[in-house]
Amino acid sequence: MNEFVEQFLLESRDLVAQATDDLLALEGKPDDRDRLDSVFRAFHTLKGAAGIVDFAAMARTLHAAEDILASIRTSGEAIVPSVLDECLTCLDLTSRWLDAMEANGKVPTGTEADADDMISRFAASLETNARDRASQPAGNDWLERLRVDPHERTTGPRVALRYVPDADAFFQGQDPMEVIAALPNLLKLDLALRDPPASLEAMNTFSSILDIVALMEASAAQVRTALIGVRGAMDIRELASSNAPVEDGRLTATSLLEAQLLVLRDGTADGLMGRLASVGRTAVNALAYLGQSEAAAALGGAAATAQATLSAAPLVEAIERALTGDGRQTSRGNTTGPVRAVRALRVDMSRIDTLVKLTGELVVLKNAIGHVAKLSQESAGPALLATTLREQHALFNRLTTELQAAVLGIRVLPLRSVFRRFPKLVREIAGSVGKTVKLLVEGDDTEADATIVDALFEPLLHVLRNAVDHGIESPERRAAAGKEAAGTVILRARRDVDNVVIDVEDDGGGIDLTRVRAVAAERRIASADVLAAMTDSEAVHLIFAAGFSTAATVSDLSGRGVGMDSVKTAVERLGGKVTLETTPGAGTTITLLLPFSLMMTAVMTVDVAGQAFALPLDTILETTIVGRDRIVPIGSSHAVVLRDRTVPIIDLAEMLGFSPGLPSQGVAKIVVLSVGTQIAGLVVDRLGERMDVMLKPMDDLLAGIRGVAGTTLLGDGRVLIVLNPAEILV
Amino acid sequence: MTAVLHDASTIRLFGVCSAQDAEILLQLLLTHPAAEIDWRDCESAHAAVIQVLLVAGRALRGPPRGALLSRLVAPAIASN
Repeated sequence: MNEFVEQFLLESRDLVAQATDDLLALEGKPDDRDRLDSVFRAFHTLKGAAGIVDFAAMARTLHAAEDILASIRTSGEAIVPSVLDECLTCLDLTSRWLDAMEANGKVPTGTEADADDMISRFAASLETNARDRASQPAGNDWLERLRVDPHERTTGPRVALRYVPDADAFFQGQDPMEVIAALPNLLKLDLALRDPPASLEAMNTFSSILDIVALMEASAAQVRTALIGVRGAMDIRELASSNAPVEDGRLTATSLLEAQLLVLRDGTADGLMGRLASVGRTAVNALAYLGQSEAAAALGGAAATAQATLSAAPLVEAIERALTGDGRQTSRGNTTGPVRAVRALRVDMSRIDTLVKLTGELVVLKNAIGHVAKLSQESAGPALLATTLREQHALFNRLTTELQAAVLGIRVLPLRSVFRRFPKLVREIAGSVGKTVKLLVEGDDTEADATIVDALFEPLLHVLRNAVDHGIESPERRAAAGKEAAGTVILRARRDVDNVVIDVEDDGGGIDLTRVRAVAAERRIASADVLAAMTDSEAVHLIFAAGFSTAATVSDLSGRGVGMDSVKTAVERLGGKVTLETTPGAGTTITLLLPFSLMMTAVMTVDVAGQAFALPLDTILETTIVGRDRIVPIGSSHAVVLRDRTVPIIDLAEMLGFSPGLPSQGVAKIVVLSVGTQIAGLVVDRLGERMDVMLKPMDDLLAGIRGVAGTTLLGDGRVLIVLNPAEILV
Repeated sequence: MTAVLHDASTIRLFGVCSAQDAEILLQLLLTHPAAEIDWRDCESAHAAVIQVLLVAGRALRGPPRGALLSRLVAPAIASN
C-alpha cells in the first residue's frame, strides 16, 4: 500500500471516530452547537480527503451528509434522531469502505450502489426532519383517511402523501389543486379542513385551511420529484404493495440471500469479479433490510476480501453464517482467528514529551556514571565508590521503571474508542427483538493496551447482545415482575491494579439454573454425578462450556448462553478470564478480567509426534534439512556439522517423551536455536508457520514444568504450548 | 368570471375557476342560502374554490367536466 493511501486511511479513521463521538454526544444533547460544528467539520474534511484519493462514491455520500448538517447548522435547530441515525449509518458505511481499501490497498469497487442507497436514505431522513418540525401532528392516523383496502391488487408500489399547504400558500401564488394534479398515478384523494370555520360568514377565502391526503401508485422518489418546490408540511409513506406485503419482506430477503449462494456456487470463472461485487452488494442490502447491521458490516468485509482474493469462499461462508445464525452469531467465526495487532497508533503528545524528558535524565545519569569511572581510575576509596554507585543505581532503577511505564503507556488507549459503538448497536438489537433497553456506560476513560481494546469489540458485543436478547425480559414480563418497562444494561470499566475489569450488568430475569443443568445434561457437557455435585455458582459457568448452546436453543432457552464459549475463548486468548454472577429475578453480571498490558510474542510452530508446539522466533537462528546419516552420535548424545560448526542435536520428540530415539534413514528437519552463547538443533517432524501470539504463563500446579514458557490458544481452539528454549538447552 | 348566479336556486361554476372566484362564490352562497351549485361545466378549480365548497357543504350538481374533479375531487367533497 502506498504511503499516501496509508495516511488517508489513518486520518479518515480518526475523523470517523471523532464524528461518531460527536454524534453520540449530540444524541444526549441535540442542541449542542459546538458538537454539531465539530461533526460538520469532520464530515467536510472526510469528504475532502475522499476527493484527494479519487474515491468518488465516498465523496458523494459524505457530501450529502455535509449538506444536511449544514442546513441544520444554519437553521439553528436541534438535530433530530432520524438524521443522527443516518449520519451514524453513513460513518459505518465509510468504515466498511476504509476496511475494504485497507484490505486491497486501493479504492474499492462496487461502492456506487451503496452510495446511492445512503444518499436516498439521507433524503428520506430530511423529510422526516421536515415532518418533525411541521406544526401538524405527524402520527399515522391520517393513513386511515385513505381507507386502503389491503387486499386490493396493485402492480406497483403505493405511496401515501399527506400535504398540508402553508396558510399563505394562495398568496404565494400556489394552487394546491395543481400540486395534486401533478402527482403521479393518483388513486385516491381525501380532502379535510384543519380548523374549519364555524360558518361561511366566518370564512377567509385567502387563507388555506386544506389538509390533503392522497394515495398514489408510484415510488416515493417519483412523488418527491413531483413535490419539488412545493411549500407546506408533507409526509410521505411507502405502503406495502398488496403483492408483496411487508410481513413477507423478511422471507424475500432470506430467499434473496439463498439465491446469492446459488450465484456464487456456479462453477464458471467467467465474470467472477462482477458476480462477487453484485452478490456482495445484494446480500449487504438484504441484511440491512433485515435490520442486521452488524451482519451486513461483516458481510461487507467478507465481500471485500472475496474481491481482493478473487475467491467466492469468504462470501459464501459469510452468507451462510448470516442465514444459519440469523445474523446473530456472525461474530463467532471472527473471534476464533488470531488476535490482530493494532498497526498504527496515534499518541498523545504529552506521552512523547515524557519519553523525551526521561531520555534527558538518562543522559545526565550516563555522564554521572562516567564520572564514577574516572573516580575509580583515580583510586578513590572503595567506600566512596560504593556509595556513589549505589546512589546511581537507585537513580538508574527509578529511570528505567519510569521509562518502561512510559513506553507501555504509548500502547494504551481509553476504552471509549470501543465503547462508543455500543449505544447505537444496543438500541438496534433491542429494537429488533421488540424491547426497550437503556445502555449506561461507566468508566469509559479507563485505559488498556491498544491490542486489548481493539480485540474487545466482538466479545463485548456478544455479551451485550445476550444481555439484551436473553437477559432482559419482554416488556410484559417486566411489568408483571413490577419492573420498569425499559431494561437497563450497564457497561462498566475500571482499572484494578494490573487488570482492567469490565462488567456487563443487566437488570433482567437472571439465569434459570435448573434449565442450565438440564441443558448441560442433555448436551452431555458433564455427567449426571458431576452435575449433581456442582454448586450453583459452578453450574452457572456451564454456559461458557463449548457445545452448551447452539443456534437451535436461542429461542427456547430462557436466560443466556448463546455462544458464550466464543466469548470465553476470545477473552482467554487475550490472557483474561470471564466470570458470571446471577440473581434470579434481579439480573446477571458478566465480568471480563483482562490484563492491562500485553505484548505479542512472535513464534514459529513445529509439529512433533502429531502435536503442535511453538518456539519463540527470537531464539531461532535458522531452519534446515539434513540427511539423517549426517547426524552422528557423540558420547550419549548426537551432533551435526553445520557450516563448519558442530551443533548438538536434540530430538524434540524424545525430549518430550513421545518416541524412542532417532531413525537413521531419510532426512531430518532441524530448527537451530541460540540462547545466550549456546546453540542447539531441535529435530522436529514438520516446520509450521510463524504467528504472533499472546503468551499465557503456566500457573498453579503446572507452573513448575520445565521447558514450557506458556500456552496460547490456536484459531481452532487447540492449546498451543510454547516451549522455553533457555530451559531446553540447559 | 366563472362563478355566476344562474337563477335564484342555482350557482354555476364553469371553465377554469381561479382563486379570485372563491370570494365571488362565497358572496353568492351567502346571499343565496338555498341555492345549489352546478359545476357540470367546470374544467378545473383553484384550491381556494374547493375549500369554499367544502365549508359550504351545499348540494353539488355534477359530475364536473374536468377529469381530476370528477374522478377524485367530487367523491372527496361528497364524502365530507
